[in-house]
Amino acid sequence: MADNDNILIQVKDLKIHFFTNEGTVRAVDGVTFDIRSGKTLCVVGESGCGKSVTARALLQIVHRPGKIVDGDIIMYRKKGQNQIEEIHISDMEPKGRAIRAVRGKEISMIFQEPMTSLSPMYTVGNQIMETIMLHTSVDKKQARERALEMLGFVGIPRPERIVDEYPFRLSGGMRQRAMIAMALSCNPSLLIADEPTTALDVTTQAQIIDLMQGLQKDYDMGILFITHDLGVVAEIADNVAVMYLGNVVEYSDIHTIFNDPQHPYTQSLLRSIPKVTATREKLEVIEGMVPSPFRRPSGCPFHPRCTKAMPVCSKIEPKTISLNENHQVHCLLFDDDVKNSMRGMAS
Amino acid sequence: MTINEIDRALADRASGDPASESDVRVEVATQWQLMWWKFRKHKLAMFGGALVLFFYLLAIFVEFFAPVNYTTYNEQYVYAPPQMIHFFREGKFGPYVYGYKFERDPVSFKKTWVIDESVIIPLRFLNRGDSYKFWGLFNANLHLVGPVNAEDPFYLLGADKSGRDVFSRIIYSARISLTVGLVGVFLSLTIGILVGGISGLVGGRVDNLIQRLIEILISIPNLPIMLALAAMVPLTWSTLSVYFMITIILSLLGWMGMARVVRSKFLALREEDFIMAAQLDGVPRVRMITKHMLPSFLSHIIASITLSIPGMILGETALSFLGLGLRPPVVSWGVMLQDTQKVAVLANSPWLLFPAVAVIIVVLALNFLGDGLRDAADPYQ
Amino acid sequence: MWRYLFRRFLSMIFTVWVISLLVFAIIQLPPGDYVTTLVNQLVATSSGSTTISSEYIEQIRESYGFNQPIYVQYFKWIGKILTKGEFGYSFVYKRDAVVMITERLPMTFALSFSSFILVWVIALPIGIYSAVRQYSLGDYIFSFIGFIGVAVPNFLLALILLFVTYKYFDQAMIGLFSQEYASAPWSMAKLIDMLKHLWIPALILGLGGTAGLIRTMRANLLDELNKPYVETARSKGLSEARLLWKYPVRHAMNPFVSTIGWTLPGLISGDLIVSTVLNLPTSGPVLYNALRAQDMYVAAGFILMLTILTVIGTFVSDILLAVLDPRIRLQ
Repeated sequence: MADNDNILIQVKDLKIHFFTNEGTVRAVDGVTFDIRSGKTLCVVGESGCGKSVTARALLQIVHRPGKIVDGDIIMYRKKGQNQIEEIHISDMEPKGRAIRAVRGKEISMIFQEPMTSLSPMYTVGNQIMETIMLHTSVDKKQARERALEMLGFVGIPRPERIVDEYPFRLSGGMRQRAMIAMALSCNPSLLIADEPTTALDVTTQAQIIDLMQGLQKDYDMGILFITHDLGVVAEIADNVAVMYLGNVVEYSDIHTIFNDPQHPYTQSLLRSIPKVTATREKLEVIEGMVPSPFRRPSGCPFHPRCTKAMPVCSKIEPKTISLNENHQVHCLLFDDDVKNSMRGMAS
Repeated sequence: MTINEIDRALADRASGDPASESDVRVEVATQWQLMWWKFRKHKLAMFGGALVLFFYLLAIFVEFFAPVNYTTYNEQYVYAPPQMIHFFREGKFGPYVYGYKFERDPVSFKKTWVIDESVIIPLRFLNRGDSYKFWGLFNANLHLVGPVNAEDPFYLLGADKSGRDVFSRIIYSARISLTVGLVGVFLSLTIGILVGGISGLVGGRVDNLIQRLIEILISIPNLPIMLALAAMVPLTWSTLSVYFMITIILSLLGWMGMARVVRSKFLALREEDFIMAAQLDGVPRVRMITKHMLPSFLSHIIASITLSIPGMILGETALSFLGLGLRPPVVSWGVMLQDTQKVAVLANSPWLLFPAVAVIIVVLALNFLGDGLRDAADPYQ
Repeated sequence: MWRYLFRRFLSMIFTVWVISLLVFAIIQLPPGDYVTTLVNQLVATSSGSTTISSEYIEQIRESYGFNQPIYVQYFKWIGKILTKGEFGYSFVYKRDAVVMITERLPMTFALSFSSFILVWVIALPIGIYSAVRQYSLGDYIFSFIGFIGVAVPNFLLALILLFVTYKYFDQAMIGLFSQEYASAPWSMAKLIDMLKHLWIPALILGLGGTAGLIRTMRANLLDELNKPYVETARSKGLSEARLLWKYPVRHAMNPFVSTIGWTLPGLISGDLIVSTVLNLPTSGPVLYNALRAQDMYVAAGFILMLTILTVIGTFVSDILLAVLDPRIRLQ
């Protein structure tokens, strides 16, 4: 992979399983990707594909009964000049001191529901200052100044008034700005955004995305952006990971994903977005439904809905295949062994 | 690789996959089936439900389950202590209890009862004993268990101040105490549905007024009011009238919670899309309520009913215990507990508290059942 | 906030007014009036030897205005209470009802208040523990105790207490004072003596409420623990303990405080029956006797005052809610 020195986070073969009374759910089943500073990785997929769980794993805040059962999450921390420290987040205790020092300081997160993600019981300022005072050794006055500064950065008018306001008195867009201010208050190197614009109207959505892109440039931070909206992806992403039932089925840069997608799932996803230029035509849908997490199909989990499914797809789990340096596909169509054996059968 | 092959592969999988079948099962199950599946998982609720069923069966067939009639007394055995039932005599099945004798306490010279192991009182299952008129319809004298010789003392849970069998009286009380709960809840349900329904359907000012009123009624301590109302029931009234009066009093103070449940359900339903759809289709109001709204909150109503019965039973028990509820010769658990008000009596005959054990078990069972029903009422969660 | 409190205050006044109407209606319910009751009682207690002069009857009838229309009677009754603090006359005790009320009501307040504090002190931490450690052994044990607490009538606990103390300590646990203080004037020593006795009835009184409150707190907190703001707080790097107390517990306190509205009436009802069994010097036994004897001015006075006590308690909980929750304060 190119320019290794910019890598911020590396996720390797991550597996997160949920141990419920009804059975084990393999919510994340071998996910690999990396995030670079100054770049945005979009994780796309339908609900239930494991994208939010993956994001939470980076902070070790996976809900019970979910558990990281395998894989590695490595954070590369710059330490002085040209020195880089490897931090294994996946080895940390979810309630321990080590991961708590990372949360909110080096990796921050913003959430989907700006209405409920801030507590209505405390002022915006209180909740921002809490983060600042937790991770830096400043007094209350300095923390308040920093909070005011942050509120200004995220484009909140008259921050000195908003800082003492309760979240329920702000609009959805303002709340999400306040959330971003809170998340960035300690200069994190990575910002995780879990569908931050889904609950907002289109205009506000665009403003928030502009804001995030601007701030990314200013702070040179990596962004892990989770969404199911391909329109948003086109606007913000540098790299894209397409997820389906706990697997990254395709990973590449934004141009490849939109112009030359290889995985059948990516292809059908793209076919299902309406085109502005197109004349009236029927919009394509992906046949079938996302299977119940307890009834994960055998072999390639996508095969029941796949238009290019082969008999072998229900029997063998696909491996991740690199088509080139920056393009991976998780599909048996590209598996040389499968191709060879089929050729053998045909002849 | 041909299209046919793929088709065959798809068909193979679809038919051979048991998972898809059970998915279908969930999809086509009715709401009541889903609730039952969810309820069945709640072990404690199942247990509570079985107990409640048992108690109501007991209440239906009290004359059969009670060894003797509740009025049967024997002055000879005043305050006789409980006996242990033994099932095997000399290695063979032959249930019996020991008799009683008097002993004088060497210190206080008080006469006390002791179990006399030299006297054996044989028992018989499906015994012919006291005759009764079952449900006031036909004569019978069959009892589940009783002494072979009718004159012999048989006091499983001891005797009271008149030498009556506490065990039999507890069983007879079940009929009164349990039906007071049931009848009372249905009365308060009627009031609750009426008031809550008006509040939820009409809305606006009427709703506001009714809600204020309910708030006020809830803020009043209800026992003094209950006692005040009960104290007014004339002593000359027949036992049946007193019974209904007490039930009405209990329900007059217990409908508020029910009204709130009904109202909140109505309000929630008004927002539901399928009600809106029915409204736009021009479905008449009455039909809308009976056809679309009622079934969807019937489950919640059933759960609230179950959770309200304990309050009624406890209320009746408290009233009767204080001597302002049901009156002898009617026998309920509260009426029986009146005897324990004198501390000296209680100290010497603690078995007089057994009716309270029945109250606790029934109330617990109803609470367990109600909790399970409430959880099951929302099967989609 | 002031507007909110003002509204709540008005609604409190309105509530008290409705309750006074209700209480008065209940007094008016029985056939005949108090004078008939009084005469009956006088005849009954003196076993027929004395006759009551008809002038005397008329005199009483006049003094209470029984010949006037009912709304006039109501205004007279409530007017006397409001302007002169007169609650009428006790036919049984032959005393002013107000004397009995002032004698007994403070003790009821003391008992209910200590019971209330006890309920909160027990229920709050247990509720939090049960929610945080859901399905743990402790949770199951507390849930079980909670179920028992709801199912056991509090007078039964009082009876068991009587039984145990009588049987094993040779003296029934009755009253709130040791013998030497029972009729002594108030002093520090007497107060301490009372507190020593108070906690047992307070505990008995509070058991049902405690059980209910544990379940309320547990359910509320379980709801709150899954709210997005908790995840936000966690993702900031807060420790679990700090997070718990600052966010979900604070949020769950809100409905918990609202329960004051139904715990207080429950405690007052409980006082009536438990104090009667244990013969405590609270309003319970007096009210009970008044109700049995249809000594209606006393009963009405007590019920009115006790209800006002709970209404004031609810108002205090409204203030507390406003302090706790900015959404209420700023509305």
